[in-house]
Amino acid sequence: MAETVNILGPARNRVDGRLKVTGAAKYSVEFQVPNCAYGWTVESNVAKGKILSIDTKSAQAAPGVLAIVTHLNAPKPKEPAAKKHRGQTDGIRNEERVPFSDDEIHYAGQYVALVVAKTIEQARYAASLVKVSYAPEEPLLTMNAAKSSATKPKGSFGPVQIKKGDVDLPLKGTSLTKIEQIYTTPTETHNPIEMSGTIAAWDRDDKLTLYDATQFVKGVQSVIARAWNLPIENVRVICPFVGGAFGCKGAVWPHVFAAAMGAKAAGVPVKMHVTRRNMFVGTGHRTPTTQTIALAATRDGKLRAMRHVSHIATSPVGDHVESCGARSTGMMYESPAIQVEETLHKINVASTTFMRAPGECPGTYALECAMDELAYALKMDPVQLRLTNYADNHPVKNVPFSAKHLKECYQVGAEKFGWAKRNPQPRSMRDGDLLGGWGMATKTYPAHKMEAAAKVMLRADGSATVQCAAHDLGTGAYTALTQIASEQLGVPFEKVKFELGDTDFPFGPVAGGSNTTGTVGTAIHEVAQLLHKALADLAVKDSESPLYNLSSNDIAMIAPGHIGSKIDNKKSDAYIDILRRAGRGSIEVQSELKEPEENKKMAFQSFGADFVEVKIDPLLPRVQVTRVVSVINCGRVVTFKPARNQIIGGINMGIGMALMEATEYDPQTGLPATRNLADYHVVTNADAPVIDVTFVGEPDFAFNPIGCRGIGEIGITGAAAAVASAIYHATGKRVRDLPITPDKLMDIA
Amino acid sequence: MNPFSYTRATDPQQATQATATNASAKFLAGGTNLIDLMKMGVERPTQLVDVNRLSLAQIEELPNGCGVRIGALARNSDVAQHPLIVQRYPVLSQALLAGASPQLRNLATTGGNLLQRTRCYYFYDPAFPQCNKRNPGSGCGALNGFNRIHAILGQSEQCIATNPSDMNVALAALDAVVQVQSAKGTRSIPIADFHRLPGDTPNVDTNLQADELITAVDLPAIPFATRSHYLKVRDRASYAFALVSVAVALDVQNGRINAARVALGGVAHKAWRAQKAEAALVGKTAGEKAFRAAAETELAAAKGYKHNSFKIELAKRAMVRALSTVAQMT
Ligand SMILES: Cc1cc2nc3c(=O)[nH]c(=O)nc-3n(C[C@H](O)[C@H](O)[C@H](O)COP(=O)(O)OP(=O)(O)OC[C@H]3O[C@@H](n4cnc5c(N)ncnc54)[C@H](O)[C@@H]3O)c2cc1C
Repeated sequence: MAETVNILGPARNRVDGRLKVTGAAKYSVEFQVPNCAYGWTVESNVAKGKILSIDTKSAQAAPGVLAIVTHLNAPKPKEPAAKKHRGQTDGIRNEERVPFSDDEIHYAGQYVALVVAKTIEQARYAASLVKVSYAPEEPLLTMNAAKSSATKPKGSFGPVQIKKGDVDLPLKGTSLTKIEQIYTTPTETHNPIEMSGTIAAWDRDDKLTLYDATQFVKGVQSVIARAWNLPIENVRVICPFVGGAFGCKGAVWPHVFAAAMGAKAAGVPVKMHVTRRNMFVGTGHRTPTTQTIALAATRDGKLRAMRHVSHIATSPVGDHVESCGARSTGMMYESPAIQVEETLHKINVASTTFMRAPGECPGTYALECAMDELAYALKMDPVQLRLTNYADNHPVKNVPFSAKHLKECYQVGAEKFGWAKRNPQPRSMRDGDLLGGWGMATKTYPAHKMEAAAKVMLRADGSATVQCAAHDLGTGAYTALTQIASEQLGVPFEKVKFELGDTDFPFGPVAGGSNTTGTVGTAIHEVAQLLHKALADLAVKDSESPLYNLSSNDIAMIAPGHIGSKIDNKKSDAYIDILRRAGRGSIEVQSELKEPEENKKMAFQSFGADFVEVKIDPLLPRVQVTRVVSVINCGRVVTFKPARNQIIGGINMGIGMALMEATEYDPQTGLPATRNLADYHVVTNADAPVIDVTFVGEPDFAFNPIGCRGIGEIGITGAAAAVASAIYHATGKRVRDLPITPDKLMDIA
Repeated sequence: MNPFSYTRATDPQQATQATATNASAKFLAGGTNLIDLMKMGVERPTQLVDVNRLSLAQIEELPNGCGVRIGALARNSDVAQHPLIVQRYPVLSQALLAGASPQLRNLATTGGNLLQRTRCYYFYDPAFPQCNKRNPGSGCGALNGFNRIHAILGQSEQCIATNPSDMNVALAALDAVVQVQSAKGTRSIPIADFHRLPGDTPNVDTNLQADELITAVDLPAIPFATRSHYLKVRDRASYAFALVSVAVALDVQNGRINAARVALGGVAHKAWRAQKAEAALVGKTAGEKAFRAAAETELAAAKGYKHNSFKIELAKRAMVRALSTVAQMT
């Protein structure tokens, strides 16, 4: 344990914990705006076709109704966020179409009208009176049905199609051990506790305030400002708390446009709750995937070829590409030949989007299951197979990983779990009448760097406020960023106030790609340097300061609350004394927004390993995960408790993916059938095992000055594969079609 | 949600007066099912008669050792924890605790639980055009739709929905009697006659009349019900409706089965009293062989659909397991 301690920051309690448990933390739709009306949508119940007519007469006459927006009267945005503006700072759309822009229906559940009324009940009732008639067309509801129009997408944050060496020869040859299997995952839908929602309030015709449940306030600001052709500063987006997101609040979805349109049409602010039911159509979901993996290895387990062919989907108006292969097989193991192919199908089902570890999550599920199958084909221990193909260099980019401690993850994990006692024979490890199984898998997630700036105000009483338009999705970002600010500024933790979630603050990136802590942390690092410089500038001009007349370039923070000479360590001055003598109540500095430098000589990627135990009653075969050991290397862990939470949450979500999560669609109408929390199963406490989390490695200062690579998404990767492999070990049956519900294990008895 | 009026009843007479005069009035108990369905636009009462203030929450012994009476407003949590139920009818306590979540059980009432409606997706969400239960004559969306949670016994071409209640399964095994009251008087309905199979009228769930108030559920004295058990098989460890469930009580003397009570949940439009299995068990030596044979007999008539055929074998195994569990009780 000793060697792992140095990567761990202090185990802080959440700075916003008290606000949350007392209900004082205000979420987006909880804001009270005077004269606010409510919006309720009417959705299409056909999956493809055209709207013939919309009869709003009785709805219009219903009590409290202020406006009804349809494609016939929608106050349309001028320019629906043209693609060319895309970039890290310009906001994200995963559905190209602005709602109510025409009479086309692309998927069941598409919003076709918005009713605005004085109360939410009135809006809901009036919405039920809107009669829409359609000219339905035959929809394409499955990837198979949409095969003929499928395309090969080029890129999505990096290449999606990869070809290194020749995979065909080894895969066709007879001298190698080979496996080739198809793995499928269903549509999975984000179910954060807080559903999406927006309050839109216009001030005259050209100023808009949005209280929006979002992972990207600056992105919403940019998309909406461009859509309505407004100066960017005329749109303000506020979001101090997010009750979970998992990716569904990263893009700007139709309800945000709808709220702004409804407010314009009704002439009053409009509040829109996306219902749990509409979270299954209106804010994205993870694409279903069909992934075929072929592996060829020598007798001693050395990979000679890896092929990963994935089929993914989105709606006809969607553009999300789930890069399954590139983000797993494309970087995981040493192999002379690697081929990754991705095919995108446009189907008449709502648009897809990022969901926790988009690409890596389904990708590692398939790859790590295939590796387990290969281990059995080779009669080799699954950990040993991974070690045999260990990649010190990124196998495609061919540059070294900055700091990869995956061997340590395997070793520490195996030891803690007791892996050495594993009898590899399926069905050999019984526990009374129960079948027991152990499985493992590698976890991985890349380190992403984005743009951010920060502002700090240091006061003469020694307290500081730091601002950045960043986000806390419930992840603990408030706490981690307060911790970083405390360290970087040299101000006690209790005296730092971190503010986020407001476009009035300096630029913060999308809370996606596990980048917040590293990216915003870097901005805090930069603004701290500026603060220390500004304090030095005051001190060197002050004859009473021990630093008088020194060059401010020779001065830096030497201890918390103190700057001093880098040359003569006896010369120092306290922040509060500098400000007091200067007669300043406070000092304020702000860092610049600039594109981060890319270090192309290294690959920055986090790794980990999960070891999982399952128990199964062979006759009534519901799988119970009883124990998980997870070891992670993600650079520095800024504050231990929220970080551990993230891994535990990610693994539980992976268990849900393995065992129960699935959005099922009606094969006739294309409407989701399981679209509430009773029918769409996520893990409950009773399903959640004890999860032992360990962090190993060292701070990754080659990546950023904070030394951290992010932690939000790696937790879910690999987890489903470890569970599926444990199920094979327990039962002798490979189920390659998630989720592994009892009906798929009826034949193990 | 449709506009409706709200009345709070202070006694059963007042409550039933309201339903006698307004055919589209409904009683409001815990509201955990009714309010949900009203929001979805499935239930559209014009009046809610709140019965929560009626003094019908008692759980007490019936005179002369005739069993136990559970008031219609007794909350699921209170029934599940009550000593009379825990000691004499453990199957009912277990069934209640296997349902929903603690928060829901604290609100849910005995009367409301009896009348909770199916969780069939096609019924619950009016976006689906077809549902004979919600909209008679529109067809059954589940028949050729996603039908993993649907019926395998007693269904019709008109409807393959299941009754989702856990409590009802235990009540069926225990031969409970539902006490009802209306402006016209009182009557008793044996549980077997309370819920209906779908036939050609799946829109009618029960034989209760719209104006009738459930006042209590009586459990007859069944000495061997102390040896009873509820087994629920579901997709996750808690907070999920049953894929299949089994309520069992056994009277075993010297290894021989004198009497058996078996009911199945999650398989039919009503809690399914397994009479064929019971008949097959009586007189047999308690053991896996007899249990499996009884289960086979009961499910011989079962019919599955695209996504739910696994339930047939699962139900058999659950029966064997539940029977074995009770047989092994001392
Ligand atoms: C997420 C979720 C999960 C659930 N999981 C389960 C589960 O696993 N197992 C399970 O068994 N149940 C489950 N339930 C259902 C729950 O048990 C029922 O909702 C509850 O029992 C209904 O009782 P209530 O008092 O709230 O009824 P209400 O919603 O108040 O009423 C239901 C119906 O009964 C009528 N009614 C109520 N009282 C009377 C009376 N005295 N006389 C005449 N009519 C009356 C009402 O008019 C209405 O039609 C779940 C519910 C939810 C929301």
